[in-house]
Amino acid sequence: MNKVITINLGGIAYQLEEGGYDALRVYLESAAMRLRQNPDRDEILLDIERAIAERFRALLGSQKTVVETKEVAAVVAEMGPIEAESGEGATPGAAEPKPPPGASTYGAGGGERPPGQGGTPRRLYRIYEGAMISGVCNGLAAYLNIDPTLVRLAFALLTMLWGTGVLVYLVMAMVVPAARSPEEKSAASGAPWTAQEFIRRAKEGYYETMKGFPDRAARREWKRRFKREMRGWRMSFDREMRANADHVRTNWHNYWTEQAPFHPGLGFALPVLSLLQGAAAVLLICAVVSLLNTSRVFGLALPAKIPEWLAALLLFMAYGVLTSPLKAARRACYWGLGRPHWAWSSLFLLDAVIWLAVVAVLLCLAVHFFPELSEAVHGLPALAHQAATDIHAWWKGR
Amino acid sequence: MSVNEKFSGMRKGLLEFLLLQIIAVEKVYVADILKQLSATEFATQEGTLYPLLSKMRREGLVEYEWKESEAGPPRKYYKLTPKGQEELRETLEYWDKINTTVKKLRQP
Repeated sequence: MNKVITINLGGIAYQLEEGGYDALRVYLESAAMRLRQNPDRDEILLDIERAIAERFRALLGSQKTVVETKEVAAVVAEMGPIEAESGEGATPGAAEPKPPPGASTYGAGGGERPPGQGGTPRRLYRIYEGAMISGVCNGLAAYLNIDPTLVRLAFALLTMLWGTGVLVYLVMAMVVPAARSPEEKSAASGAPWTAQEFIRRAKEGYYETMKGFPDRAARREWKRRFKREMRGWRMSFDREMRANADHVRTNWHNYWTEQAPFHPGLGFALPVLSLLQGAAAVLLICAVVSLLNTSRVFGLALPAKIPEWLAALLLFMAYGVLTSPLKAARRACYWGLGRPHWAWSSLFLLDAVIWLAVVAVLLCLAVHFFPELSEAVHGLPALAHQAATDIHAWWKGR
Repeated sequence: MSVNEKFSGMRKGLLEFLLLQIIAVEKVYVADILKQLSATEFATQEGTLYPLLSKMRREGLVEYEWKESEAGPPRKYYKLTPKGQEELRETLEYWDKINTTVKKLRQP
């Protein structure tokens, strides 16, 4: 399973595996570097991009939508290194600017990010796009190049250790700046080509191409095609931004559409799976509460050597393991349904509603039937009040 | 040092001359040029051709026009300008002179 990144080449959107994207970026950056003295730099770069785009187009078909890393490497190798102009200089070698150390590979060595030279240096920011609360976890995930869910989980686990997670989160939310400008956003994820940059380049290519058209019909056709491409591209980018600030798109889509052809029954399996997962979630909450209150899990005493926090951790892990097939099955249902359709969209909505309803009902039942849980729930306001006074006192005593 | 290596600088210098010849025959786009050169000692790549063509365009030897392609985006088709034709004629003349000299000095 590889990350897929959408890029724009000569006005057309392509999806590349992450390694391929890196290889291409290194190639184009080194090309730009070598051509920096060239008055026609931008035009040559556009020519190169168009040539690469044409090769990518030849590789793709209706079944294949993603360019693989090794294919990108092959295309880049076929393109060959960009030669700086040597016509004017007395010695061909002297006029050539030295490429940066990282760029000399031309991506031929696969998709390795050159150390320190991989474009924009990363900085820690909060990222609002795709954030849950204030983008701390999201920004941290982008900074570490991992899944934000993992970071969120880590914070949740930390919170169980006397609320450390909440404290750290609050401090980070106050201290870490939010990424607002395009530059900051690109620095947050280390990706130099932001959405704005893509659009700018695409438009540039479009007008440049437009200039050379002889007649109006051809111009109109090109305009129509360009608009369609841009629309599709922007939509896919927006979708990705929503899904994840690091605009990560996994190959799950392809994988599942290949594995599971369209089947309406899948749509009806969804609510059932949701029910099961909801029940498991409630069970977990009950187990943790009963563990924290009575040091027992549903009446079962812990082995003497296991501390409570470890037991809670184990519970979470058990939950993760037990529900992973459920999650995978739900995902399979989603993708198995093929292209989004209003009927299925409404089914997903129904699914979400059912999920929430089940969790709510089960929680109510649990509060009703487990005295310790109800105690915990009733104790919450007092706990919050206590925390507020503590913070207040700390603030005053500062 | 093999002959191939020894002449790499010379081949590089001659590439522009060959491009003038190829473009003189008919309007071509870069993939055509690559194909024509691929079987010869002058086989080259886009990374070399695009900068060279852009330099020739800047010097007024070639110009290009956009043409629709049946699949994909439009392509740049190159053709010679009058100045390019003049340059080609002069270069061919000079090349013949060099060739004559080489032949004359060659051991019988």
